[in-house]
Amino acid sequence: MTYVIGKECIDVQDKSCIDVCPVDCIYEGGRKTYINPNECIDCGACELACPEVAIFPARKARGNPEWEMFTADQAAFFTQVLPGRDAPLGDPGGAGGFGSLGVDGPLVAGWGRD
Amino acid sequence: MSAGPDDVRDVVVVGAGPAGLFATYYAGFRGLSVTLVDAQSEAGGQITALYPGKLIHDVAGFPAVTGSALVAGLLSQAKEYSPRLLFDTDVTGLERYDDGTFGVRAGGRDPLRTRTVVFATGVGGMHPRALPVGHEWHGRGVVYVVPDTAAHTDHDVVVVGGGDSALDWALALRPVARSVTIVHRRRAFRAHAALIDRAVDEGIVLLTEAEVTAVDGDHRVRSVTVRRDSGETVDLPADTVVGALGLLSAPTPFPEWGLEVRQRKAVVDSRMQTSVPGVYAIGDASTYPGKVALIATGFGEAATAVNNAAVHIDPGLSLMPGHSTDEELAPPSTRTGQVPVVATARRDET
Repeated sequence: MTYVIGKECIDVQDKSCIDVCPVDCIYEGGRKTYINPNECIDCGACELACPEVAIFPARKARGNPEWEMFTADQAAFFTQVLPGRDAPLGDPGGAGGFGSLGVDGPLVAGWGRD
Repeated sequence: MSAGPDDVRDVVVVGAGPAGLFATYYAGFRGLSVTLVDAQSEAGGQITALYPGKLIHDVAGFPAVTGSALVAGLLSQAKEYSPRLLFDTDVTGLERYDDGTFGVRAGGRDPLRTRTVVFATGVGGMHPRALPVGHEWHGRGVVYVVPDTAAHTDHDVVVVGGGDSALDWALALRPVARSVTIVHRRRAFRAHAALIDRAVDEGIVLLTEAEVTAVDGDHRVRSVTVRRDSGETVDLPADTVVGALGLLSAPTPFPEWGLEVRQRKAVVDSRMQTSVPGVYAIGDASTYPGKVALIATGFGEAATAVNNAAVHIDPGLSLMPGHSTDEELAPPSTRTGQVPVVATARRDET
């Protein structure tokens, strides 16, 4: 199980979630942050820390089309080959070494700008 | 000085979260000698580190219990049989000896000799997150915990972070320090509003949307440079810099110790035994088909691991311990007619 970062994060990226994640599993994309579903330990610290109230547990997404889309996009961020890369990110075991990856999952990359 | 045979324990439990605490109790209950080791300074693992005040709703027998009350009950229960408790102790290695016993390397001492090991290491040992700038001054003015506030008397103190722990350290040091400044990267604090109000009342300076960009000194820290998002740069005198950026866990290095893993978790069978006979893994540290990682299941895994460990040590023993309601097996506290400790913890909730 994992938590998911939704649309409220897009173009805000406060990154408080990254500060509090005890396993360093939140990765910084171009327009929002992404939680690695395999590395997340489901502690919920990020949900409480997010000032945008952008984060929800994946188990609550079922039946909510928007949350289901963001859950899928978050998974795709790690399983698909992102623009400018040769291989999927996979499960690197920590975001520390990456900094901003500068790119996004397909849903977020095409998300309209306010 | 090497450990004599008298020092060989039946079980070493690594990790004092809920699963490890219950395994420790259970080992005593089964008549096994046990040592519990944890990297943190107090019991509770993830519960204590991440959500002590949260209500937990899926522990059998408790419609709702706070994390801290549950941990208090588990710790009291674990102490029923006087286990050896080693906190602030990192486990750094696992050795196997020819006679089938193990050595758990912990805290730079001689290996803890034991017949079986139960890893209840959760997501790994938790440690304070290092400051991105200034960590090299650790021990020379940069600290991550403040065991003795008096040691910072008349210091100019800079606390880095925006959560409850940052405010807690700042408020603890305010009465003795010359000055206390909190530097936080974000606009808003995560800490409880009441703590922030108190900090302002007590003259603590809050610098938000600001980052420490340099730490300077001679043989110890003397000043920090802070850059605000507005572009302004401020130099602050600093005798003490407190890193309060939360905790970060490091996965337990099971592969280095010869244990099979899947997604960083030790693979176990239905006995909770890892790929190394005599070594068990329970709770979040373990995985098997159908695994559900909950406190509730961790308790069952603890009992399964310890009963199987008992049989591993002495194959003549029964896997089943007998029922805890049998008189001769009843825990000491209930024999003397005291109120069970968990019930006390529960009462505190109402």
